[in-house]
Amino acid sequence: MRKLPLSLVMLATTAMTAPAFADGHLQIVDEPTELTIHMHWPRAQGYGVGGDASQIYPVEQAARDMTGISLIDETFGKNTTDSAEAMNLLIAAGDMPDIVGGHLIQQPVNEYGPQGAFVPLNDLVAEHAPNIQAFWDSHPGLQEAISAYDGNYYYIPYLPDGEFGRAWYIRQDWLDALGLEQPQNVDELYEVMVAFRDQDPNGNGLADEVPYFARQWEEVNRLLTLWDARSSGSDTYHDFYVNEAGQVVHPYAQDAYMVGLSNIAKWYEEGLIDAEIFTRGSSSRDYLLGENLGGITHDWFASTSGYNAALADKVEGFNFVPFLPPASVSGVRMEEHRRIPIKPDGWAISYAAADPVTVVKYFDFWFTEEGRLLSNFGVEGRTWDMVDGEPVYKPEVLNSDQAVNSQMYLEGAQIQRGYWQDYRYEWQWTAEAAREGIELYSANDLLVDQFLGVAFNEDEQAIYDRYWPSLRTYMLERNQAWILGSGDVEADWDDYIETLNDMGYQVVLDVMNSAYARQYG
Amino acid sequence: MSNDPNFTGPSTEELVFDASEARRRRKPSRMVRLGDHMKREWQLYLMLLPTILWLVIFLYKPMYGLQIAFKDYSIFRGISASPWVGFEHFHTLFNNDQFLRALRNTIIMSFYGLMFGFPVPIMLALMFNEVLNQTFKKSVQTIVYLPHFISSVIIAGIVITAFSPSAGIVNTIIGWFGVEPIYFLTKPEWFRPIFVGTGIWQEAGFQSIVYLAAIAGVSPTLYESAVVDGASRWQMIWKITVPSILPTIIIMLIIRIGNILEISFEMIILLYQPATYETADVVNTFIYRQGLQGGQYDFAAAAGLFNAVVAFTLVMTANTISKRYSRTSLW
Repeated sequence: MRKLPLSLVMLATTAMTAPAFADGHLQIVDEPTELTIHMHWPRAQGYGVGGDASQIYPVEQAARDMTGISLIDETFGKNTTDSAEAMNLLIAAGDMPDIVGGHLIQQPVNEYGPQGAFVPLNDLVAEHAPNIQAFWDSHPGLQEAISAYDGNYYYIPYLPDGEFGRAWYIRQDWLDALGLEQPQNVDELYEVMVAFRDQDPNGNGLADEVPYFARQWEEVNRLLTLWDARSSGSDTYHDFYVNEAGQVVHPYAQDAYMVGLSNIAKWYEEGLIDAEIFTRGSSSRDYLLGENLGGITHDWFASTSGYNAALADKVEGFNFVPFLPPASVSGVRMEEHRRIPIKPDGWAISYAAADPVTVVKYFDFWFTEEGRLLSNFGVEGRTWDMVDGEPVYKPEVLNSDQAVNSQMYLEGAQIQRGYWQDYRYEWQWTAEAAREGIELYSANDLLVDQFLGVAFNEDEQAIYDRYWPSLRTYMLERNQAWILGSGDVEADWDDYIETLNDMGYQVVLDVMNSAYARQYG
Repeated sequence: MSNDPNFTGPSTEELVFDASEARRRRKPSRMVRLGDHMKREWQLYLMLLPTILWLVIFLYKPMYGLQIAFKDYSIFRGISASPWVGFEHFHTLFNNDQFLRALRNTIIMSFYGLMFGFPVPIMLALMFNEVLNQTFKKSVQTIVYLPHFISSVIIAGIVITAFSPSAGIVNTIIGWFGVEPIYFLTKPEWFRPIFVGTGIWQEAGFQSIVYLAAIAGVSPTLYESAVVDGASRWQMIWKITVPSILPTIIIMLIIRIGNILEISFEMIILLYQPATYETADVVNTFIYRQGLQGGQYDFAAAAGLFNAVVAFTLVMTANTISKRYSRTSLW
């Protein structure tokens, strides 16, 4: 048994803090068993605290005590932070550990699973993993979404909880200063933006306000929803979506897009949208809010709500609040962005695993009540306590200088194993403004269905790979050019559609739709 | 080879002499000579070994993998088990307008880089050589070398800030002359000058070192006699320094031509936008978007192989031309 002394120490400490584990009802194996694991993700390249395999996660230690199974780190590509690259190295080397997990594994497991690199999980889960099966049964459509083209699925995903991701934020103190109300529709939004531009809400005497800004330039396309167009069907930018007729189409080839984009171009020209939105980059939110210049953005609930506290001393009266998405020209309020219910992260069983049944039982452990609490909150008694049937973080966790998620990553909780996130984890450390916003958004019917992607067979993949990257390049080139005013979207529209068709847009749609029908039909 | 045809019954003394002479004169086979030389100078060969190993492991062994350009490659199946597809990837490549555009951009930008970027380090070296004040010379050298040591990400950040329409120094300066701010980095027509200019700013100083070294090797007696003959400094530069370092210049030029398609694409990725793809997209960024992001290693290998073949042809041509006209060449 490797690392015996450390294991013993850990065992002793956990035994002191959590004596409840000893009852053994979660025990999977009679004899202590070791399984090897590849676990590569942005926060840690390796299965151990901060990627250091010699430091066993407290969560892993607790899981060992409960299940009798120890995971032994065998992560490939520890010298790169690029998980996809590490995965390629692992597959190319061919010497695979029992469990392959981490960031962005969906594409590789669906590509190499049917070739024999990974074990199909459908029957294994149905027979040996009642808790995972129960999750699939209560969440229809998700199992299909992660399946490969052969109809099997090859990994247990990280399943985020919670619905809303991004929200519309506005400077309430600017609105108050100018005697304006929160904009309720696209026309009012326009008026508010013009007022922000012209009426000097920051009061410095300069016309330096930036009415709409975003950290990602792609968020400029989010404004398309105000004209009943779409910018994406998922939480990935520029993605396909499923239209009312049940067909997969691309948002940038629809007539509504032409109308929406011509309006965005007009707003850009009028200085309502950050002139530097394409190059300002990820620090734009810090800069434009910190310098008291930015008025409206579309960004994540939790992180954006943090600015009220952070800038309280710097910008007097600073109050950046979420507001409902303004109604579109046809009166629809839509929040296009939401948390995707399944991530391409998680873990899979490799062909090298001697006993896949044990591994799938182990995967199932993380979907039991105890396993789910452990994977979300860490070890009970160490980072949290059960209070009136609710897991509540200890005050030292909530009040630490370090963000709660960062603390959890070091505990071995919230890491990218296949687990079901529990939103109560995030809610406890979400700022008050964001909580109110989430409740506001939840009370209204804002969300649209997500396009969860399709799994191509080899022929479809070849066609998609041949045409799609060039099409996407062309679409984005025209998109930016029209916003920047080089070219007029309405005048260029027919040529644009013709070019898309010449470049294979219809062919890509055909393979998309045949894969979609096979997968979800 | 070893027998003397004129051998005619010599005396013992002559025999002994001839034998030793023959041993001396006999041309051993190349292998034997190499063996002897290795035995005698083994320390030199030992020092050579790491480089040879490096070449074999990192440059020759990977050539085996080039075959994936002609295969439908799966990393799980491995190179040998993946099926052959002939020239399919090349066919796809040349049927793609964006690849042809990227190829054109690569050549144009490299050509600009060569035309404007190549002379700058030479001029810098000549100027450094003429500076007499050591303190001034050292400080200027440090300043122009410095950008070379800064990561591309930082350089790109500096460029983006410098050319920003609201706060950038470039727009501030042209604003003094009444010019409206220009959003340079979204204008296709500005991308190439900015990229080439950034490259020169970043590398010219460091590249001048090799020319400074060449200038240091010019015999001082040439300058002394020129002074005696009453030559001006200008004449000394043109008649002595430049001709003396010309072989270095030509070798550097041939190497540059060989790397003509190896444009520093990380800088382009950091600076370009879909709005500027028209002039900014080069073969390597095209490969990056098309191939590597989608995991199409076979396709990317085909594009890379094409790149290498063109570069090889260019070097061979430049080398041949140079050999014919200036008798300076790489080999």
